[in-house]
Amino acid sequence: MRNILARGVAAGAIALLALTACSQRSDSNAGGSADSGKGFAANSLIGVALPAKTSQNWVLAGDLFTNGLKEAGFQSDVQYAGSSTTVADQQAQISAMVTKGAKVIVIGATDAAQLSTQVEAAKAAGATVIAYDRLIKNTQGVDYYVAYDNFKVGQLQGQALLDGMKAKKPKGPYNIELFSGSSDDNNSAVFFDGAMSVLKPQIDAGDVVVGSGQTDIKQTATDGWKAENAQRRMDSLVTSTYTSKTLDGVLSPNDTLARAIITSVKGAGKPLPVVTGQDSEAESVKSIVAGEQYSTINKDTRNLVKQTIQMVKDLQAGKAPQVNDTKSYNNGVKVVPSYLLKPLIVTKANVVEAYANDPNLAPLTK
Amino acid sequence: MSRVKELRKSLFGGRTSNARQFGMIFTLVAIVLLFQILTNGLTLNSGNLVSLVSQYSYILILAIGMLMVIVAGHIDLSVGSIAAFVGIVVAKVMQDYSIPWFLAILIGLAVGAAIGAWQGFWVAYVGVPAFIVTLAGMMLFRGGNQFIGNADTVPVPEGFRIIGAGFLPEAGPNTGYNNLTLLLGLLLCVAVVVREWRARRTRREMAADVTPMWISVIRVAVPIVVVVFATLRFAGGRVGTSFPVSGIILGVLVLIYAFVTRNTAGGRHIYAVGGNARAAELSGVKLKRVNFLVMMNMSVLAALAGMIFVARSAASGPQDGIGWELDAIAAVFIGGAAVSGGLGTISGSIVGGLVMAVLNNGLQLMGVGSDRVQIIKGLVLLLAVALDVYNKKQGRFSIIESLMRPFRRDAPTAPAPPVAAGQEHGKSPVAG
Repeated sequence: MRNILARGVAAGAIALLALTACSQRSDSNAGGSADSGKGFAANSLIGVALPAKTSQNWVLAGDLFTNGLKEAGFQSDVQYAGSSTTVADQQAQISAMVTKGAKVIVIGATDAAQLSTQVEAAKAAGATVIAYDRLIKNTQGVDYYVAYDNFKVGQLQGQALLDGMKAKKPKGPYNIELFSGSSDDNNSAVFFDGAMSVLKPQIDAGDVVVGSGQTDIKQTATDGWKAENAQRRMDSLVTSTYTSKTLDGVLSPNDTLARAIITSVKGAGKPLPVVTGQDSEAESVKSIVAGEQYSTINKDTRNLVKQTIQMVKDLQAGKAPQVNDTKSYNNGVKVVPSYLLKPLIVTKANVVEAYANDPNLAPLTK
Repeated sequence: MSRVKELRKSLFGGRTSNARQFGMIFTLVAIVLLFQILTNGLTLNSGNLVSLVSQYSYILILAIGMLMVIVAGHIDLSVGSIAAFVGIVVAKVMQDYSIPWFLAILIGLAVGAAIGAWQGFWVAYVGVPAFIVTLAGMMLFRGGNQFIGNADTVPVPEGFRIIGAGFLPEAGPNTGYNNLTLLLGLLLCVAVVVREWRARRTRREMAADVTPMWISVIRVAVPIVVVVFATLRFAGGRVGTSFPVSGIILGVLVLIYAFVTRNTAGGRHIYAVGGNARAAELSGVKLKRVNFLVMMNMSVLAALAGMIFVARSAASGPQDGIGWELDAIAAVFIGGAAVSGGLGTISGSIVGGLVMAVLNNGLQLMGVGSDRVQIIKGLVLLLAVALDVYNKKQGRFSIIESLMRPFRRDAPTAPAPPVAAGQEHGKSPVAG
């Protein structure tokens, strides 16, 4: 018996030796990294990892990436994180893209600070990492950042809020409430700070009053960018602060939350305040045309995706992609070269021109 | 006795739970091979195996604790929240007080134990159903996570990341492989051989039927081939990667807990409590203490899983741990545990968890969207358990019976004759 066992062990050892002989271990691809000196094959795989499908924008971006990359001759793998286990899903998806040998990985992060391990693995495997719309934090592994200028978005929102209230009621003081986005999204604070850079002087002057006194971003945050959370908070604000006072304006960071806020105010039977927004979602464009939501921001996803695909093409050709900001976006360990696009504010006054070129939204403005 | 029958009995004990387990191993191998073909060899590629282990080790660690909870007849819905809570506590402690990372891990485990004692107290000594206690815990500790972290993402220092994103280091001469991983593989091979040899010796000493030689050889050769293959894949990946540290933690835990649940009195008490609590108590099992320890143990493992995830993600975030309890519970049930308690094994749960993991990973490699992945995983869970329930109702005892039936000429539909059970002494129906 021992004899046969021994034979088994011997066989195992031989198998081990045989396999050792054909070790494919190398660090050639690890050293190669993304110097973008040489470029890569024109039909390479490009991975795109996007967050859960919580807003139309991401769904649209996914479709545009799939089609755009195909037109440019690349193979594409476009993935959304699942709706419940978002972070873990996205981590796994990025790892899978690395395994499949993607040359460029475009990431719209679910949680911008929880992807370092995967991003670094991607980098070590020779892929270039582009942070799309949300800057990936605390890692050397991210190569480029492409987004709309989000501080500018905040400024435009703050200005629109003031303009809208002035148009309705020529004299202050105005009562407003502030909402900001999910605190795990890097952009939330940027929008909020942008808007506050416009609103703060007015608040200090007493011309604008935050009725509830909640001006800290921790108090105004909307977890997970979820409409239900914004609606719940607005419900409580109406009950606690606006039973007798009138609410003149609400700063809302995006359209989904703006509509939730409007629903809440309507439900309470109060007159509609001026509500800002962002993303040009179809429902909100309709709402602007109908005179309910005051403003939104047009950050045409088409242009953003087009710019990203242009970067991929440049990398493929071995050129350095175009960037227009090499100072502002520090992710905690490095300043990430960025390409920033200019956002456009949309109100009822310019809604027709703003979406004239958009096949989906143009019919809604007529 | 036909050879097929003999093989099945000797390899897997031929009882419900073990045969079910064989069914799952069979399914796992089938899924791995299927995806290996569908993804053109990417599934068993070094890099993918490495990420597979580091992606799912924390879920499998939860499955170990969850198996014991479910065997004892309870359920724990709070593990994801506890993991998130401990994660943020540990991240905060390291950030605010610059405590060294190994001390932070101890703090994390202590917090896990304290939470476990809290939940165990309500379950065991007050008698509130575990479902309710842990549902409360799920909200409590999720809220605690947001409260402490301000729903913010808190980064952790580099040293701490070893437990989640670390690998066995490079050491010794340049062999073209990671030497420590090779060593680990070699140790495993030796362990497999020694174990089989000792099992045979014991049976001979006890004058029991010694299993036929050819079966022993299969029992040794199959695992060795698998181990050698895996070792070479893990050791031969990209330089800088090798067998993940989180995988080693998982392996050690599996060995310890498999031994405890199978071979110690305390471990058998859990099965006794889950099988029939009243009878167990009358036979002298300290019911309350068993329930308390099982719940507490789960929370400690959840704390560990939470820290591994935080280490892997390099930061603790507000969305950590959402849905983990469901992944762990699914792994345990796919791995053959009974909903009513009293049945199930650690190794079965690990296999069940791996089936889900490989399925998830394979579908992702194929570029299937997460929406469809979830639909498929839901169906797999339902079918795996439904098939078994159906087979039990039919008086057959498991998947394996129905898989084997077409290949047998005599095709008896009756359950195995009692003689077979008689020959099984020394082997417990739930061991494995």
